This record gives sequence, structure tokens and C-alpha cells, in this order.
Amino acid sequence: MTVTFLESADNPEIPPGAVVRAGGTDLQERLRSANSRPDIIDLTRIPGFAGIGDGPDGGTRIGAGTRIAVVARDLLDSYPALAITSDGLATPQIRNVGTIGGNLLQRTRCWYYRHPEIDCHKSGGDSCPARTGRHLYGVVFDRSDCVHPPPSSIAMALLIYDATVSLSDGSELSVAELLGDGVDPAKDNQLPDGTLVVSVDLPAAMSGEEAAYFRSISRFEAEWPLVEAVVRARRSPDGAISDAAVGLGGVATVPLRMTEAERVLNGRDLDDEAIAEAAEACAAGANPLPETRYKVDLVRATVIEALGRLRATG
Amino acid sequence: MTFSTTVNGDTQNLDLEGHEASVDVLREQLGLTGTKLVCAGGVCGACTIQIDGVPVAGCLTPATAMVDAEVTTIEGIADGEELHPIQKAFLAHDGLQCGYCTPGFIVHGVAFYDHWRAEHGPLAPRPTPDRHTIAEDLAGHLCRCGAYEGIYRAMAAACRGDFDDGPVEPSRIDGPAKVTGQAVYTADRYPENVLHAVIVRSPVAAADVGPLPPPSDGAPEWIVDLLPDDRRVRFAGQALFAVAAESPADARQLAAEVPVQLTPRPFVIDPDEALADDAPLVYEDRASRKLAPNSSEGPMLPTRWSGNRRGPTPTPFMGTLANYRVRKARETGAVGLVELTLETEPQLHSAFEPHCTVADWSDPAMLKVWTSSQAIDHIRHLLTERYGLGDHQIEVNADFVGGGFGAKSVLSPDLIGAIELSRLARRPVRLVLDRREELTATGNRPGTRTDISILVADDGDIQAMVVDAESHAGVAVNGVYGALCVIVYDRSPRIARDSDVLTNAPPGAPFRGPGGPTYAWALEQAVDQAAHQLGWDPIELRQRWDGNEKRQALYRWARELDVWSERPVTGSQTGRFRRGVGVAAANWLYMHDPTTEIEVGVEGGRLVVTNATQDIGTGSKTLLARAVGEVFDVAPTDVIVRAGRSAEGIPHGPTSGGSRVSPSLWPTAVEAAENLRDRIGTDLAAVPDGTSVSARRGGDGGNRLLRLTLGDLQVGQGFAAAVHVSEVEVDTLTGKTRVLTVHGGLAVGRVFAPVLATSQCEGSIIQGIGLALYENQILDPHTGLTLTSNLEDYRIPQLGDVPEITIHFHTGGWEHVAGGGIGLGEVGTISPAASVGNAIFNATGWRPTVAPVRPDRLLDGLR
Repeated sequence: MTVTFLESADNPEIPPGAVVRAGGTDLQERLRSANSRPDIIDLTRIPGFAGIGDGPDGGTRIGAGTRIAVVARDLLDSYPALAITSDGLATPQIRNVGTIGGNLLQRTRCWYYRHPEIDCHKSGGDSCPARTGRHLYGVVFDRSDCVHPPPSSIAMALLIYDATVSLSDGSELSVAELLGDGVDPAKDNQLPDGTLVVSVDLPAAMSGEEAAYFRSISRFEAEWPLVEAVVRARRSPDGAISDAAVGLGGVATVPLRMTEAERVLNGRDLDDEAIAEAAEACAAGANPLPETRYKVDLVRATVIEALGRLRATG
Repeated sequence: MTFSTTVNGDTQNLDLEGHEASVDVLREQLGLTGTKLVCAGGVCGACTIQIDGVPVAGCLTPATAMVDAEVTTIEGIADGEELHPIQKAFLAHDGLQCGYCTPGFIVHGVAFYDHWRAEHGPLAPRPTPDRHTIAEDLAGHLCRCGAYEGIYRAMAAACRGDFDDGPVEPSRIDGPAKVTGQAVYTADRYPENVLHAVIVRSPVAAADVGPLPPPSDGAPEWIVDLLPDDRRVRFAGQALFAVAAESPADARQLAAEVPVQLTPRPFVIDPDEALADDAPLVYEDRASRKLAPNSSEGPMLPTRWSGNRRGPTPTPFMGTLANYRVRKARETGAVGLVELTLETEPQLHSAFEPHCTVADWSDPAMLKVWTSSQAIDHIRHLLTERYGLGDHQIEVNADFVGGGFGAKSVLSPDLIGAIELSRLARRPVRLVLDRREELTATGNRPGTRTDISILVADDGDIQAMVVDAESHAGVAVNGVYGALCVIVYDRSPRIARDSDVLTNAPPGAPFRGPGGPTYAWALEQAVDQAAHQLGWDPIELRQRWDGNEKRQALYRWARELDVWSERPVTGSQTGRFRRGVGVAAANWLYMHDPTTEIEVGVEGGRLVVTNATQDIGTGSKTLLARAVGEVFDVAPTDVIVRAGRSAEGIPHGPTSGGSRVSPSLWPTAVEAAENLRDRIGTDLAAVPDGTSVSARRGGDGGNRLLRLTLGDLQVGQGFAAAVHVSEVEVDTLTGKTRVLTVHGGLAVGRVFAPVLATSQCEGSIIQGIGLALYENQILDPHTGLTLTSNLEDYRIPQLGDVPEITIHFHTGGWEHVAGGGIGLGEVGTISPAASVGNAIFNATGWRPTVAPVRPDRLLDGLR
């Protein structure tokens, strides 16, 4: 049992059985729960692993090891949708430690997956006990044999920026490719085995971007979303929306980009009518589980609230 | 591998394999046990430390993050003897109860204070941060006692600059130890040569278990049996064995490898399925039924069983007439008949210090126990009997206890496991439950389903009440709560029928006011419904029905509240956000321990008060100091309190349960102190060491409700009363309910320690809000495994969920009681949940019958 501090992210060798760690906020809980003491490959000392700088084509490169709190603070003006989403997740103490890369790649929070006495598709089993058991916080767009939504709010935000990730083998994936279609119930993401996410790359910031984020939860804060939505757009002086991008989380095994809602919004004033129409578009096609029927209403509610907040930013 | 770090200014070497979390290394390698491990999932913040000035969750932050960094823990916050302004503010404003979450709040609060000061300058007064700002910054902290109002007050005052310099008068005498991390709880004890123990638990909900495997079959050297006599498992998570090893990790590994012979049996999880004819029986015969644990604090009276149903046990007052009237009203469709079915989900105690015991039986002639218990004297008595010990051969200690709430007064598996392993190994043994165990197997407030019928005449008089109360306490029984409904409004024929429905779910256990919040959820909503149907003011209707003079005084107080007189008309609102106001009343027994004895003496010119009780955060130590100090006109902080220890020669102390502590301790301590003063005068410096006087509580001069005394518990004369008025805002779009304000009125006589009493009443309300809106144990229907066995999925109220709370005490009505006042830990937690339910009804016109009123339930209800 050793810890190795990786010094370069260029094609690192990751021995079998070793686990890779950045902030550790997801991993440590799983290690404790499983009473597991594997070899650790620690990424936090890789030069440039943390930090925000210029990216290609006028964009921005965020080192995968950049703390969530830093993303929330430093990108508020240039990428507000990402920043406010980052600020809305977890707790201050987690945001101070957790990294953007780790947040993207964290394992599911399904209570069956996390229970040491239970096997599921994602923990070596061959079924989804939540589907036949309890799935109160499950998906409302049921498209996989797994029924629990992924935990990364940041993934949802990156999706609506058309962000990409750079991998340790030198290749690139769009965030949409990294997340995949969510159909394979055994996988949280499509990251090739043995590779690391080195950075997150955002296209050039959009001047005049306005953004809003809303997470439906039962309490004040610090709760996994029942449903969450993030929107970014520009508004012309006369109030017409353009470049709208809408992301939805807590509803499927991957975060969803709501292109139909975007189409509804673009070119319109952000009035009650447009908001309602966009909300309806987001809930279209929902096929809830027995315990997630309420989430159909909640999808509409969450989008209405997020768009209402967007309107109020003007 | 060895690494270097700086902790609280001192350079330290850390020996790390790499997988460790910061909190474990600080506690186990550096002995800095002020940092607590509670949820182990980054939710509660009790393990918060600062790394290079930034607050982080110590349970999720790898220890390697401390390498070459400056680490600050709670032990490093004060500057020598000089406390930080945040620490002073928590002391002055009582921002703590049991103290287990306090180090995390303080370490984070200091970072907040530093930031505020940097922003607004060093000179006081600075602006005061509002509640929302404080709640957002401290969103990663939870407090199960519900000391949140004090925390808000403390944070605001410290940031404003109220405590930038100068001394502080602590609200509780053990507060300084709690805000500095010096308080040593049972879980903080790592004695020399200690073995670490872990409980092996059943992964299945029902099974027969083979004998303890012998060491030749690969069983560990140190293993003891924790099964009941019939060696049967009845719920998933039940304790089977306890094993010990040289390190916590080794013990966990060992536990995973114990060769357990389990023969699974059929089981049933759902209460409805449990009543089917072919359902597997949880207890099959008369003998096995005796094994069923008691989920309440009441006596186990014999009653009939039918399959998995125990009962019904009737509590009738002209019950035949009540049944007849309700039946007749149903047939004729009487307008005055109100019939509701109401349910509550099981609520988990979630004390922040888990069940834990350190036992040292190295010397066969002396058993020393430290345990996180709310009943050390009682536990010592039980252990003495179980192991046939002499009075001089056992001591039970609990210097500090990180919360209890009712589930820590039995011979729990951690106690038995640690003690018997220590006897086996003749070494000290430490057994601390992890959060998953704590939230699975240590008890819960049983779920309930109540069918209630109330018949009201045209003139508003109550004519009949019929209550069918079904307790869902898993494998436990005696969840009597229907009977509590029929002792409130006592002016009509009425009957309650209580039954338990047995399932293979984890056992219920006594939980703060056992049966109280759940009876009120049903009864007080039914009364509210009656008022609504008949067009009465809900308080006025209660005034008409209620024979309790003290509650009548509280009704008069409540009707004068602005929030009540300005409440909206039920169902009148149509917007997205709807405001509502609800009222509910509470009735509770008054109990005390007549065998309580207190010794007051003088040592080195200081008063010393001794009693074998414990302080679980309610403030019993402070109460003793105040009682004695008042007689001698000495500051409470100058009185030495010896509590938290039960051993030969230490006078008997009350269990922290049944709201019995204050009325047992206060008058007894005052009497002992007065006797001492009569003997020695008030010049303490002149008194030789060892001078002491004792007093015994006794009864209330013959006043009592029941002739029998239950063990050391006397049910006294009179009922405690409370009334809560809650104001909510319902977001009908997202299904979220926020409680905006709560006014709590309590009639408990003289209030001995007003600041602490207020804290208790605030915490009571917050736990009631948890029951009403958030807290929900969820089991897997196919395995009976607890899915909500962490503080992420089991949702207790956060700082930002706390309404603005106002507490009112009506002090009359208890003149017949020694000391003139009674306990208030329970009566204050009975009506808050029901008042929130009634407020939601007032806001929306929809009756929330199932608690907690989660967003999904609200959205379904309003659809």
C-alpha cells in the first residue's frame, strides 16, 4: 500500500489495482465504506494540473485538478452558467477540495450502488435493484437498465458550453462523447481505461452571456438535485433571446441538453408564454418510473424557475 | 511513508500509506480528537479543519493534502487561554448542546469571521451578517440537537464584533471544553494497548445462525456472540458477533471474513403484507415473543397476538358509546364527523456521537466502562446483574455524550461486545459504530398509521373520538401512541386501540417523547380538520374541548399572536407561493426519579456537587451548578460538578430520558445545598475539605398520577402542556415547504435555566420540522436493507431550514411539584410537526396526511 505522486500526465502508467485520486471527495467515501486500502496514484502534484488559463481558439483551459470553488469564483464573468452551477453544488468544504475533473468522473450516488451489501450493474452485479426496489430519486427519462441519474452538475453545465476534455493519451473528447448516451448500465462515462482527464477546454466566452441555475431539492442547500436545470443565453436590447442553451440534470442516466427548448426560446422574448412552452418541451417524452412521476412536474417547475431567474438577471 | 506537515503551528511527521482521510490521521496518529468523525460522507462538517486557511471536510480530504501544508484544527483556534471571538460567541449565545458538531462549526466559523473582518475592517461594530449569508457559508454543517438558533445568534454577534475582546460568561459550564475540542467523549478514547472491535452484522433480514465458529475453523481469536437465545436473525443489520483486532482496519477486515453460517428464512418488510394470512411470522411462538424489544418507555403489559399483529389494546373511556356514536354518524352522514387516516415514516435518532463503548476488564476484579449513554447509573445496574458483579467491581463513565434522543439507555451490542471482548482478551477494547450501523440498527421512532374519527355536535361540543393506532416498529413492540390521543381532550366518550404490526425491519426504540409527535400528527390534524369543517377558529375549538388549565393559558397566548390573527383563510390563495399558519397542542406526562440523591460538599474552598447522572447536551451539569450556586450566591462556573461517572459510593443519578432530569436534580441539589449552608454558613474558604451533605429527591408530598413507580421512574401529578403556532410558505411549483416562523409556548412551571431551556425548545421544534418535512428512513423492499443509512440520504434539517423561533414559557401550575418546575425535553417536540401539517393545510387547502411532506408528496397532493 503506497501512494505515488504523479509528476506528469503524459501517458502515465497506472498499475492494475491502483486507484487514481484528485481531490478525493468521492473516492475517500467509497474507500472507507468498502474498507479498501489500494495503492493510490495522486494527481494533485502534476504541474499545471490545477489552474485556469488560455485555451485554443480564444477559449479557456481549466486544469482537471482545478478546485470547484476556484471555477465558481474565477469564471463568474466569462462563463457564468458554469460558475453558478459549480457554486450551487455540494457544500463549501467540498467545493474547496473537489476538482472539476473529479466532479465530472465521480461515481453514481444511487443508494443501491453505494450500499456495501448490494450489487448492481455498476458494482459488479447484473441487475438494477433500484428498478424493482426503491427509486424515489431515479430517472424520469428511462432509457437504460440503470435508473439513477449521474451526480455531476458540472457535466450538465459543460454540455451546454460544447466543452471538450483533453486526455492523458493526447486525444480529445467532447463532453457529450465523454458522457455518452447513458444506455450502458455498467458505465458512468466513456473514458477509455487507463486514461486521465487532463483538462477541460471551453470555447471562447460569449460576450453578454446571461445565465441561471436552479436545483430542486427538499431543503435549503447541500442536497443532490431531484431535478436541476442550467440555462445560458444572450438577449438583444429589445429582449429577444439568442444562443440559448438549456441543460437538464437529475432526469436521465446522463445530463441532457434540451435542444427543443432552445429552439423554442431563440428569437423570443422571455415572457411567461415562452417560458411555459420551453418547460413543456423539456418534459416531452418523459417516461417516468413508478416512483418518479412527480419528476415530470418537477422538470417543468425547475425549467420555469431557471428561466424565471434568467429573466430576472436582465 | 513519512511526510511532514504543520498542525496548529507544530511540525509533525505523518506515517501514511496514502488511502487515509485527514480526520483519521489527526485523531489516531496525532491524538487530536477534537475533530469529530460523524457522517464520514462530507455532509455534516463535524470533521472540518482548515488547510492553509481554507475549511475542508476532514473525512473526504486525503491525509496527503495536509503534507507540507499549514493545518488548523479546533485545538489550534484559541490563542493559549484566550478564546477566539467565535468561541466566546458560541459560549455566550449557547450555539451548542451536546457539543459533538461544535468543533466543525467553530473551525469554519473562524474562517467566516476572518473573511468578514477582512471585508468590513477590524473595528467594531461591523455590519451583522444576515441569516441567509450565514446559512450559505455553513451549509456544510449539521447539528442534530438543533442548536441552530444559538449558532445564528453567535455568528452574527461575533462578526459584528461583540466578542472582539473581553471576557465571556458561558451559558453552560462545560461549554469551554466543547468549544476548544478539549471535551473527551467516549469515541475519543484510545487507551494504551487497546484492541479495536467491530460488529459482524447480518446481511439478510431473517435467518437461523449456526454456533460461534471455533478458531480452528478460521474464526478470529477474539470473537464474542451477540445473538439472542434462539440464534435467529430478524432484521438486516442485526448484530451477530463482535470481533477485535489490533487496528480498526484489521478489525473491519476480520469482520468481513468471519465464517458465518446463515440459513436464510422467509421474511416480510411491508406492514400490509405482514398482515396477510400466509405472511412469515416475525415471532412464531410465546417464547420468542419475549425477545421482542420495547420501542417505547412504557411498561410491556400482556396483550394478545394474532399473527404479526400484537394487540389491539384498547384504552376506553365509555368506549362502547364512542364506537356507537361514530358508527351512527357514519351511517347518517353527519356533518360533524371527521375521519382521517394519517401516517408517519420512521425517524432515525441520528445522534452525532454514534453508539460506542470502551471497556477495560484487564483486571478480572474491576470492570471499567466508558460508553456513550444517557443512562450510566441504570446501565451500571444492568451490568452488575448480568455479570454478577459486586458494587465495587464496576464503574460506568460518560464524561461527555454526543447526543442520545432516547436510543442510548439499553444494553446495546456495542456495550456487550466491548465488555465481553475485553473479558476475553484481558485488554481494553474500543467499539465505535460507523454511521451506516448507527442509521440502520440502533433504533428509530416507529412509523405509524392512524385511523381517527372525531364527532362534533352543531354547537362545537366533542361527542366521540375513536382512534385505531398502528405502530410500525419493525421487530420491536409496544409502540403505544393511540392511548396518548385519548388523554388530551377528555370531555367525550372515546377509545383508542393500539396495535403493533411486526415486520422484519430494524427495531424502533424510544425517541424523545415516544409516541408523542406521532399521536399529535394524527390527533391535532383531525382537530384542525374538524375546526375547518365546522367553521371554528382551531384554537377556540380546542379551548372548548380542553380541560387542561395550563394549556388554556397557552391558547390565550397563541390567540394574541399577530401571526395567528393575521392568518389567511384556508384555501383562499391561488398563487405559486402560499403562506399558511397552523396550530397544534401537546400533552405529556410529568415524570421524575424519586430515588435521585445528590451530594454537595466543599473542597479547597469550592463547592462540589456529585451525582451519577450524565449530560447528553441538555445541560444537566450546568443545572446542578446553577442550583447549588444559587443557594450560596456563587457563579455556576465556580462550582465543581462531578457527573458522568457511576461507581461505588456515587449517589444515584437519573437517566436522561422521560424529561425527568431537571425535576429530579434541581430540587434535590437545592435541598442538599441549603442543608450544607445551614451547617457551615457561606464562608467556604473556612470549611475543611471533605465536608458534605446529601439529599434525596423523594416524591411530591404524595401528589402523583400513578401509584406504581416504574423502576426509578415516578409519573407525577399533572400534564405538561405545549402549543405551537407555525407559519409556512409552500412553493406549489416545486413542492418545497419552508417553515418561516414558529412560536412555541410551554407550560412547564419554573424554568431553572432559561437559556438552556430555550435551546432545548428550539431544538425540539427543529426535530419536529425534520419529522414533518424531511426525515424518512427507506428500506429496500426485497432485502430489508436500510437504504438511507447515511446523512446524505437520511435528511435532517440544515441551518438554512430553521425558521425564526420564539419561545414563551407559562410558569404557573406546577406549585405542587418540588422545585416548582418540570422537564421540557419532550413536551416541546410533540406538536411542532402537526402544526406544520396544519399550516400546509391552511396555505393550500390540501391536508398532508403522510409525513414527511416531501416535494413528491406535495406535488402529488396538489395535482
